[in-house]
Amino acid sequence: MTMSYGPLLFLGILLTLASSWVGLVLMPHRQLGSLTQHTDTNTAAIFPAARAGEAQQGAEHYRSLGCVYCHTQQVRPEGYGSDLERGWGRRRTVSRDYIHDRTVMLGTMRTGPDLTNIGERQSDAAWHYRHLYNPQITSPGSIMPPHAFLFETRAIGPSGRSTNALVLEGAFAPPAGTEVVPTRRAEQLVAYLRSLKSSGDLPEAPVKKEEAK
Amino acid sequence: MSHQSQTPRSQTLRALLPGDVGAGSGGDVQTGGVQKAALAEIDASCRVPVLFFFLSGLGWLIAGSLLAIVASIKLHSPGFLGAWEWLGFANVRTAHLNTVIYGFASQVSVGVSLWLMCRLCRIPLPAPGLVTVANLFYNLGVTVGVVGILRGDSTAIEWLEMPRYATPILFVSYALIAVWTIVTFRLRAERHLYVSQWYLLAAVLWFPWLYGTAQVMLLLEPVRGVVQAAVNWWFAHNVLGLWFTPIGLASIYYFIPKVIGRPIHSYYLSVLGFWSLALFYNWNGMHHLVGGPLPAWMITISIVASVMMLIPVITVAINHHFTMLGHFGKMRQSPTLRFIVFGAVSYTLASLQGVASALRSVSEVTHFTHHTIAHAHLGMYAFFTMVMFGAMYYILPRITQREWPSNGLISLHFWGVALGIVLYVVPMSLMGFLQGTKLNDPTIRFLDVVQFTLPWLKLRTVAGLLLVVGHVAFVGNVAWLLVRMFEPYRKPVVRILTGEAETLAAGK
Amino acid sequence: MPVISFILLGSVVLLPAVALWALRWATAAGQFRCPDKAALLPFDESEPVGVETDLILGGNRR
Repeated sequence: MTMSYGPLLFLGILLTLASSWVGLVLMPHRQLGSLTQHTDTNTAAIFPAARAGEAQQGAEHYRSLGCVYCHTQQVRPEGYGSDLERGWGRRRTVSRDYIHDRTVMLGTMRTGPDLTNIGERQSDAAWHYRHLYNPQITSPGSIMPPHAFLFETRAIGPSGRSTNALVLEGAFAPPAGTEVVPTRRAEQLVAYLRSLKSSGDLPEAPVKKEEAK
Repeated sequence: MSHQSQTPRSQTLRALLPGDVGAGSGGDVQTGGVQKAALAEIDASCRVPVLFFFLSGLGWLIAGSLLAIVASIKLHSPGFLGAWEWLGFANVRTAHLNTVIYGFASQVSVGVSLWLMCRLCRIPLPAPGLVTVANLFYNLGVTVGVVGILRGDSTAIEWLEMPRYATPILFVSYALIAVWTIVTFRLRAERHLYVSQWYLLAAVLWFPWLYGTAQVMLLLEPVRGVVQAAVNWWFAHNVLGLWFTPIGLASIYYFIPKVIGRPIHSYYLSVLGFWSLALFYNWNGMHHLVGGPLPAWMITISIVASVMMLIPVITVAINHHFTMLGHFGKMRQSPTLRFIVFGAVSYTLASLQGVASALRSVSEVTHFTHHTIAHAHLGMYAFFTMVMFGAMYYILPRITQREWPSNGLISLHFWGVALGIVLYVVPMSLMGFLQGTKLNDPTIRFLDVVQFTLPWLKLRTVAGLLLVVGHVAFVGNVAWLLVRMFEPYRKPVVRILTGEAETLAAGK
Repeated sequence: MPVISFILLGSVVLLPAVALWALRWATAAGQFRCPDKAALLPFDESEPVGVETDLILGGNRR
């Protein structure tokens, strides 16, 4: 033994990690980092559509509120799980679906349902406001925490109820003479949720025609 | 083993060692010029920095446990503490993960790792003051990060939630610690390497790379699209496999032989275990994305690598089992051995569960369920945290030169956390599996699946409370030990410090 | 795509080569010659093999 073990260990240790760094970090970046939108040759529709500013702001609230810890945004392929059967999408999601996301929030838990296509499944903004204000209103038995802090309870003004006030009944109704209105944050978040649609026809993930209505 | 004179150690580096140790002129050839230090001297040199890491780690453990209880209650009683936005479920859950991973587990790891490295290198810790300063910065980083998460600045990237303004502080203090571990290693008086040192060196070299890559590619200059998910899980899985696991295994390989006074069964197997872990573990990460929107080749590679993990895991299990054979009874007498063996067994179980849930057919069921949460706790707690507890039971009396004040608290700690974690992992694994089966059956309403999980989630809160009881008992015992450090000199009870359990028992 | 293939192919060839080289080096350096000796490293004159440490609780002895 005439040499120190140091260099050998150092080299071996760094090379083993280098292998997966190349394989699982650099190579996917090369393969997927430059995906672009796809234009349908027949309809000239472009998928995935870019997100409007309002919705892009909402994505930041989605991140900040930690929605990703209970909701996934990925639809698994046919025959693998029941994502399609549950109506969470009309096709599986693929890499191209996420090219506009600043933070890709695929999620790892389904404490709540998948939201990949929530904008398509539930396009009614009023539903989203009431659900966020207190999930028990729209989904009794849900364990989603109420997000009342995204709303403002205020006295009804002289000109009567605001047009954007939530329709709340029974136990959920605010005190008499007051109304619940969404804050700017709630509006942006709902704009984001309503923008969530990943069902455009893509060459690598075609929508099955009979299911596409 | 003919030892010729070694490459001369750098004089600048050697100047960091206490005079008589670093002088080297009297050093024999065997040690390459630096004399081996006595165990007591090594322990004393580690006292301040290692205590700082342990104590701040334990502070974060208590904070993290309380956050965990709040998060757990919120999951079955969503209105609990619902008025405060900063205590929302996602914030609390995320703050829990980051306090226990970066605040508790990583800090205790560093403490154990520094002490082990000094003991195996047979030198006192060079410039302990520097390490202490690194510790203070590290804690500053964790505090800023956790407050940022509670304020809603979380990045929402799992295991990397700390906001961008906190992570550089962590990275710098971490790099300082890593460099110092390597400096300690370079100065070693014992030329030969024990397997624990392989693991420790690997861990300190791997982690900055992992953390640096993830920070740059996800936060500073985010890559586009699902590549983020690939980087995320390459990092998050490797934190477990290439940072915590090596330190846990390094501790097991050191403490079992030390406590029972018997060398490891097969040194050869332990080296095989190291290199197979190094080769396969870092390819595992993509099994968190099975069925996801990534190219199939990536996921397949990870599934294959996950199955290959059977080699290091079985190697380690066989080796530990045969080392312990005939000595299991000593777990009753040694708190260290008790916790470490519990951890070693859990390592095998956690790894086998991990291999199984990486398979496509199993992942189809368990992927998005509480099964994953149970698995994470089996690995991080039943394996890693238990091993760290065991290591602290060994190290703390030696660096403080005081005995553990209360055997009762040791028992309360062990049984609280042992029962707690079993009650956590077993039902949650089962529940996750059933939950997944129900989710995959489209005829069952989603809300009915949610309702099904409720009783199990309440049981999880009970398990969490048991863990808290154990943690409080341990922290109480440690606090008592510290009080003793400041008491006027008292004739030391020699039980641990000289290893003479017999004498004391006979005298009583 | 070809670039990726080159990286993949390169790493597939390079990594096992390095691993083999490391193994050969370690063998030549005597790392595997006395595995039993390396296993003794946690022990020293003050706490040699056979001395149990940390048996501090009551429990049944022997």
